[in-house]
Amino acid sequence: MEREKSFSGNRKYSNKEITVYWKPSACVHASYCYRELIEVFDPSSRPWVDMNGAPTARIIETVNMCPTEALTWKWNDEERNKTVGNDQTNHIKFRRPELIEESTPESKENPVSVKIMADGPVVIKGNFTLIYSGNNKEINESLISICRCGASDHMPFCDGKHRHIGFNG
Amino acid sequence: MNMEEKKENKSQAVVEVIDSGPLKISGNLLLKDLKKDITDNSGEVYLCRCGRSGNKPYCDRSHKK
Repeated sequence: MEREKSFSGNRKYSNKEITVYWKPSACVHASYCYRELIEVFDPSSRPWVDMNGAPTARIIETVNMCPTEALTWKWNDEERNKTVGNDQTNHIKFRRPELIEESTPESKENPVSVKIMADGPVVIKGNFTLIYSGNNKEINESLISICRCGASDHMPFCDGKHRHIGFNG
Repeated sequence: MNMEEKKENKSQAVVEVIDSGPLKISGNLLLKDLKKDITDNSGEVYLCRCGRSGNKPYCDRSHKK
């Protein structure tokens, strides 16, 4: 369920600094990824990519070894992507330029704001579709507050319980 | 997927509360973590709802453990 699948049948995995894209159809099973970094790329695990398994620099190094466009990466900070040199062979701008547009924030208007409150809920604001218990609800220019501490009596919404339990996150 | 028409109230993202699982948000989103200095516009995020993730605000499947 947590496997991330986008519209194009690709998957992506993120840590705080980078996003790794996985395009299954391009894989030729050269096996560099898991031989080099089984802590992150473990074909026997689901999801098979664990972005917490190694430091970002090691993940980048390993993704750059992929001989195809099956594994590519980008910085989450778009400014950093602009200055990436071609020694970073598997950065999306060299291997999969079609992904650049998708990730350029300037091309997007009116994004939905997702604010992670300190030691509190996640507050989502804007125009979006909420799916909850099989129901779809359109939220227009409004906001919802979703529990992150796991203790709310009004799930999935926040009821302020995080303060009582001393939630840290 | 292209947004051909950008109307005022056009839904920009889908927020899905996954039963006994994380909060999935996909689409045109801008995530900011006010405590950890994280900004994320990757287009798809899975956020922890159980409070136990070691990688907050993201889900790390701790809810299954």
